[in-house]
Amino acid sequence: MSVLKKVLESGKFAVTAECGPPKGADPEAVIKKAELLKGKADSINVTDNQTAIVRMSSMAACSLIKSIGLDPILQVVVRDRNRIALQSDILGASAIGIRNVVCLSGDHMRFGNQPQAVGVFDLDSIQFIKTVKDMRDESKIVGGDALAKAPDMFIGAAANPFADPLEFRVVRLGKKIAAGADFIQTQCIYNMDRFEKWMEMVRDRGLDKKCYILGGVTPLKSPGMAKYMKNNVAGMDVPDELITRMQGVPKEKWKEEGIKICVETIERLKTIKGISGVHIMAIEWEEAVGEIAEKAGLLPRPII
Amino acid sequence: MKKELTRTLAIFYCQNVPESGEEVRQSLEKRYGKSIRLFPMPCSGRIDIVHLLRALEEFADSVYVITCPEGSCKYLEGNKRIKKRIERAKSIIESIGIEKERLNLITPVSGDDKVSLASYADEVMEGATKLTPSPVFKKAAHGAGKTKRK
Amino acid sequence: MITAEQKPMDEIRDMIAPYKKILTVGCASCVAECAAGGEKETGALASALRMACKMAGDEKIIHEKTLDRQCVKDFVIQLDEVIKDYDAILSLGCGAGVQAVAEMYNEIPVIPALNTEFLGETRDQGLWIENCLGCGDCMLYTFGGVCPLARCSKQLMNGPCGGSQDGRCEVDPDVPCAWQNIIDRLSSFKALDRLDTIYPPKDWSKKRGAGPRKIVREDQKR
Repeated sequence: MSVLKKVLESGKFAVTAECGPPKGADPEAVIKKAELLKGKADSINVTDNQTAIVRMSSMAACSLIKSIGLDPILQVVVRDRNRIALQSDILGASAIGIRNVVCLSGDHMRFGNQPQAVGVFDLDSIQFIKTVKDMRDESKIVGGDALAKAPDMFIGAAANPFADPLEFRVVRLGKKIAAGADFIQTQCIYNMDRFEKWMEMVRDRGLDKKCYILGGVTPLKSPGMAKYMKNNVAGMDVPDELITRMQGVPKEKWKEEGIKICVETIERLKTIKGISGVHIMAIEWEEAVGEIAEKAGLLPRPII
Repeated sequence: MKKELTRTLAIFYCQNVPESGEEVRQSLEKRYGKSIRLFPMPCSGRIDIVHLLRALEEFADSVYVITCPEGSCKYLEGNKRIKKRIERAKSIIESIGIEKERLNLITPVSGDDKVSLASYADEVMEGATKLTPSPVFKKAAHGAGKTKRK
Repeated sequence: MITAEQKPMDEIRDMIAPYKKILTVGCASCVAECAAGGEKETGALASALRMACKMAGDEKIIHEKTLDRQCVKDFVIQLDEVIKDYDAILSLGCGAGVQAVAEMYNEIPVIPALNTEFLGETRDQGLWIENCLGCGDCMLYTFGGVCPLARCSKQLMNGPCGGSQDGRCEVDPDVPCAWQNIIDRLSSFKALDRLDTIYPPKDWSKKRGAGPRKIVREDQKR
């Protein structure tokens, strides 16, 4: 049973965190990271060859973290697999006890270490969400063939309130929900004002009532990181005030300040109508998740 | 030491270059003999890359293109177009081992005293004494390997 | 049209190296339009190759001829009268043209001088843009005349993705976000609600479902 689903359905503020698999075949590398997250979040996202860099498969890493008692969220991008492989992976994931999946487009191959690879994109993320929903609820695959046993999946999708065009973002969110998304994790938030504006549009369309929305947060490690994200990562909105704020503290205090900002963001998220939880993405800084969750008053996680 | 010039130059020029009528052309060809070949054009923009290459292939150690001053092209863009084509032609000849200095663009700055065709011709012919023969016409040494490739 | 660009000179020289009598064949259609293989470019390439050979002491005969189209048998056949004089053809046709010539004269090697690229339009002088994938199942009406498969880097049919910023694609700031274009275009037709539909998975079998495709028209046959 999906822990995330249980927590959300109970009405409690949910916490998810992210775990990136290693660029190698060592299972210990996954276990070590996962141990840092034990008890700090309800369910753990495992990324899928993020930034198009070859890493241990999300499915394998999910299986490893499950073996130490965590509840994995399988992230799947449509960049690398055709519909045969995607549907097959959903069946496989369900068979080994994975109960959460997030359906994503995926970063373009150009950004990673295999820019010469073909991008599959047989399905897009929305078609993939619908595919998983039909497999789960109607026990059938694309084309209509029946499944011997339906997979059991809590279906998630991503939303980016900071990409353009702003007004269309909620239309697309609506499509993801109509296609079958049960929960949404947003891109990490630095511009709260813009995020609240987006949430207003979300509420206007009643989408918060149809789906659980978790706001994404990522702690800053340095002013350089903030600047990099502002200038080099598509779909990110990092206000100048945050960079100034990070620059205003001495180097030894950067991480502390980054965590402070993150906690403040979570406190604000808790007050926003329609937000059901937070998704903490502490990239290559999994130790910070515990501290952030603690300071934001999110611990201990409920046992349901 | 032989001072006689054995280089051949090709000069393509726009007919709007001052004092560039047929009589001037004939008198220049008479004066310089085989060392110069003059090609009048209705506009420098009519010159294509293939013309420049054919000149280098067939007889020219060096090619000059004389255009109207910037902003004064009667067809508005001709002198801009030939400038870009010469750039491309230079990279083509470089890729086969011919020095890009063998293709030259002369575009006077507007407002300069109007230089006549004969003045240009005299100037480039004088500079040509320092010019080495084009590698296209050098007899390749017997059993020579391939020329150095970029 | 089909676009292409000339291969690097060294690569062309390597391929023609073993041959003594080469006919350089241009094409006056698509590749002339994109300034890669038309009569002028064919003349320029042949001239450059002759100069290169001369400088290397390599006695090759290199002639040139430009056909109206290289992808149509009735035009290619014009080479019949001259072909016996050559031991290789250097073709400045697109991939389709090179192969059509090779089919006709399959005893002599046909060497491609171009890298064929994409189906596209001449957007502006000196600028060609890919806009069609040849999917065999055109949806351009639905998407307001902007193809999400050819012009979206991720081929999304229910776009845009989260990387769309300021109307630019995350892959390259010079690439417009096709989905921004689609949204703008449909908005101007007051048809934005067309995007409320969840477009189902594409039938890719129309593109390569049974291997290389062909079209047969009985009414067009002899």
